[in-house]
Amino acid sequence: MPSSSLALTPGLGSFLKCLKTNPIDTSIETLISLLKRRQIRHSRSCATATAYLLRSVISACRTTDSAKLIERVQSVGRRLMAAQPREMVVGNIVRRVLGLIRDEAEDDRDAEFALSDIGSESQPQTPRAYDDPSLPLDRDSPSFRSDDRSSRPPLTSMFSLLSHPEPENSLPSTPGSSSPSGRLAGHGPSKDVRAEVLEGIGEIIDELGQVDDQIAAYALDHIHSNEIILTHTSSTTVQKFLLKAAAKRKFTVIHAESYPNNHEATHATVSGSAVSDDDNLGLEAFQKPLIEHGITVILIPDSAVFALMSRVNKVILGTHSVLANGGLVAAAGTRVIARAAKVHQTPVVVVSGVYKLSPVYPFDFDSLIEYGDPSKVLPYEEGDLVDLVDVQNPIYDYVPAELVDLYITNLGGHAPSYLYRIVSDHYRKEDISF
Amino acid sequence: MNRKLGLRRSVGRLWHHFFFHKMTEPSDPAPTAPVSTPASSAPGQAQPATENSPQTLPIRDSKPTQPTGDAPASTDGAADKPLSPAELKKKAKADKAARRIREKLEREGGTTGSTTPTPSVGAQARPPSTPKKDATGTGSAQKGPRAPPPRRGSGPVAQTGSVLVEQKKKKDDKKVSVFGHLYGQQRRVTVAGATKEVHHAILALGMQLMDYTICGSSARCVATLIAFKRLIESYTTPMGTSLARHLTTHLSSQITYLSTCRPLSISQGNAIRALKLFIAGIDPSTPEASAKISLCEYIDSFIREKITVADQVIADSAAQKIQDGDVIVTFAGSSIVKQTLLLAYNRGKRFRVSIIDSRPLFEGKSLARDLAKSGLDVQYSLVHSITHAIKDATKVFLGAHAMTSNGGLYSRVGTALVAMSAKERASGVEIPVIVCCETIKFTDRVALDSIVVNEIADANELLPMDTPVSLVVPNPDAHVPPTPENKKGGNRTPAPEPLVTPHKTSSSPLADWHNTPNLQLLNIMYDVTPAEYVDMVITEMGSLPPSAVPIVHRMVTNL
Repeated sequence: MPSSSLALTPGLGSFLKCLKTNPIDTSIETLISLLKRRQIRHSRSCATATAYLLRSVISACRTTDSAKLIERVQSVGRRLMAAQPREMVVGNIVRRVLGLIRDEAEDDRDAEFALSDIGSESQPQTPRAYDDPSLPLDRDSPSFRSDDRSSRPPLTSMFSLLSHPEPENSLPSTPGSSSPSGRLAGHGPSKDVRAEVLEGIGEIIDELGQVDDQIAAYALDHIHSNEIILTHTSSTTVQKFLLKAAAKRKFTVIHAESYPNNHEATHATVSGSAVSDDDNLGLEAFQKPLIEHGITVILIPDSAVFALMSRVNKVILGTHSVLANGGLVAAAGTRVIARAAKVHQTPVVVVSGVYKLSPVYPFDFDSLIEYGDPSKVLPYEEGDLVDLVDVQNPIYDYVPAELVDLYITNLGGHAPSYLYRIVSDHYRKEDISF
Repeated sequence: MNRKLGLRRSVGRLWHHFFFHKMTEPSDPAPTAPVSTPASSAPGQAQPATENSPQTLPIRDSKPTQPTGDAPASTDGAADKPLSPAELKKKAKADKAARRIREKLEREGGTTGSTTPTPSVGAQARPPSTPKKDATGTGSAQKGPRAPPPRRGSGPVAQTGSVLVEQKKKKDDKKVSVFGHLYGQQRRVTVAGATKEVHHAILALGMQLMDYTICGSSARCVATLIAFKRLIESYTTPMGTSLARHLTTHLSSQITYLSTCRPLSISQGNAIRALKLFIAGIDPSTPEASAKISLCEYIDSFIREKITVADQVIADSAAQKIQDGDVIVTFAGSSIVKQTLLLAYNRGKRFRVSIIDSRPLFEGKSLARDLAKSGLDVQYSLVHSITHAIKDATKVFLGAHAMTSNGGLYSRVGTALVAMSAKERASGVEIPVIVCCETIKFTDRVALDSIVVNEIADANELLPMDTPVSLVVPNPDAHVPPTPENKKGGNRTPAPEPLVTPHKTSSSPLADWHNTPNLQLLNIMYDVTPAEYVDMVITEMGSLPPSAVPIVHRMVTNL
């Protein structure tokens, strides 16, 4: 189990503890209040908390009827999402769990037809468990999977049976759907949907723990020697990505500090003193900062981005969530950076776990933006000024798809225009607005 | 008017400055000395305590006391055992130890000697040498407990060559290589080391420029001219030379001093060039008194024409561009933009102003304050929210540090981001970007990017600071190797003196960045906004497209 996520931090850590001891309803309330108060912040912490919560919800739910399970998860999910609508990851995880349950239910039905073919099905599934992070396989799979998905709703054919296990590489929705079939052999059609779903959620949680490393595995494909790379704010995913490349290659990193909202974490990341209370960074012991790998890190204020962009080879950005149209919601200031990169014809690469991919098509961009504590912009010591002026501190920026050149997820690199396909692979239509 | 106020305030600041440095110099060893003397004069066996005490200052103190410190220790031991042969033996031992120490010190003075593991040799000999070792070893060993390293303190006291070399190497490591050409010389932080020819008005101005008390292209230009006027008033031509010839060289030495405080702005350069030209044009036969009067008049009229009146003209025509209901975005704090906005407001226009500010200078704060106090509707945000501020903007007004001959706008770093965002909004509607700039700021230099021409400020300014006044606190950190111009003045020792590092929070992870290898901080002052982002440059000679800059510049300089 992901011991990583047990690293204790005010938000996530305390919640996970509480989840173990308290009854489920209390835990739901706890998470809701954590979300509302923004005591749990980073996408991944929110995702992990949601996954654990749903696992407890399902295991507490004494029913084998998938419809009832779906209903229960939906109701919990709705409350969580209402608590923090801008934390889209929560909704993503809920949707994936719903998808799991539906898959199970369908598999149940399918199993009646497919029982005879089980032997052949379980065979390709065994290797899957081992080469889970195997990359080459991973990379071609999306296209394959998409075909397979679209062809699945109709009755199972031989083709879909064989291709079924294929997409499961890191797709936790399908692991759920395949492992049942493995068991099916023993148990027969009357299997426990709940257990399978729980297992599937376990895989989601596993994925959340591994996602950064999986993304980092692509680093060497994208960073060459002597590059100058610009990044912004402190993101574990980006740091791991760069660290992976740093092990083999020498390059220079220019780090914009993202001043009022996240500069402390950035400073800590940059200087390597990041034994931070931040649950994002605390999750896994951050082995070594970039500077100790001999990578020159240049910290700059955000305002100097344009001035330096002409020397930058690549912009690598972390994100808060990715939208289905290829746009993304990321820390404030990201958009100007992406724009400046576009102006200078510098490629912009966004690294993000698939779990951040939300089936949301934004129409009202303003609704995606969260505003933060204005005292970070204008401290209260300047009381006279605070009274007189209107202070704004947006936390996020919406970056349109055309400013991004490449997304790197744990499934590989994708063009922004391709993301909608991955979205439709991961979430079922009926769950997009539940 | 404001400028004058600013000047007066800044004179006060200067006094504070003198006071500040005067005070810190003698007072700093005072508190530290008592801390360490007990430690070092404690019995020789108690080295572990002194070993990692990072006080380096009292080396000089502790060395003379050391043998005596050892001697009492041994006599104490002898008092317990009154055996005289044993006492003698002990004494000999102590002597030997002392000699060894001395040798060691000498050896360390000669060679680099920053090898940390050696002290295990003479356990007895440790106390005096350890502080020194710390002084040299701070570079490699990262001292955990005390964040600001005492390296700087060690500079003047233990002026061993090795220390300086090491510091120099480290300094180089902290230079961002792309900007290597801009690091040139360290900024001066005190008046110490200035040649005696430098006029006191210039000395004062230098300090004010250095700590950004006088900041902004035109303010700097005006202040320089005023200081030169005072210099000229008190100037007498030495025997055997003519005013025209001597004054120019005399001015040059003043200018050299000023440029060590902060690199000269384009406007300063233009003003100085014009002044020198005028001086050169003075007929050598004119008597000194009348030449001085005509010079002062020239300076006055120069300020009036090129800046004061020019500003009024610019503000007037720029204010006409503002309409009711406008949302004006501006970046940082430009005096001419402020004047424009206030003028428009006083003419009854009602509009909203959105000020975007940036680290580390936060120049927009005073602009926001002034505008808000005058009743304008002001919104304040930082660079990270440019997109949000620009979203409902209708016009962007920018100040300039200079306009380059290829139409680029050379201005406070971050300006380019604002101009770019104005031109490439999500909605696709471009917002006019209007630059207010006096022609004195035009230059015939060209700039394609912000790297070839720029100014590097002290990176320590980027460290997060808690104190709200910290902006004006000079950064006493960046002055370690006495710079070339420093060595002229005989008294170089006090120059890198102010070891006042604690203005930054010790909790900041960056506090120790000087000693963190591979970590660099970059604090550039300007960036170049490409001409295509600028729609209009409002000057006192009219509103122009940026492409007209070289033509106007030629017109102005050929007058």
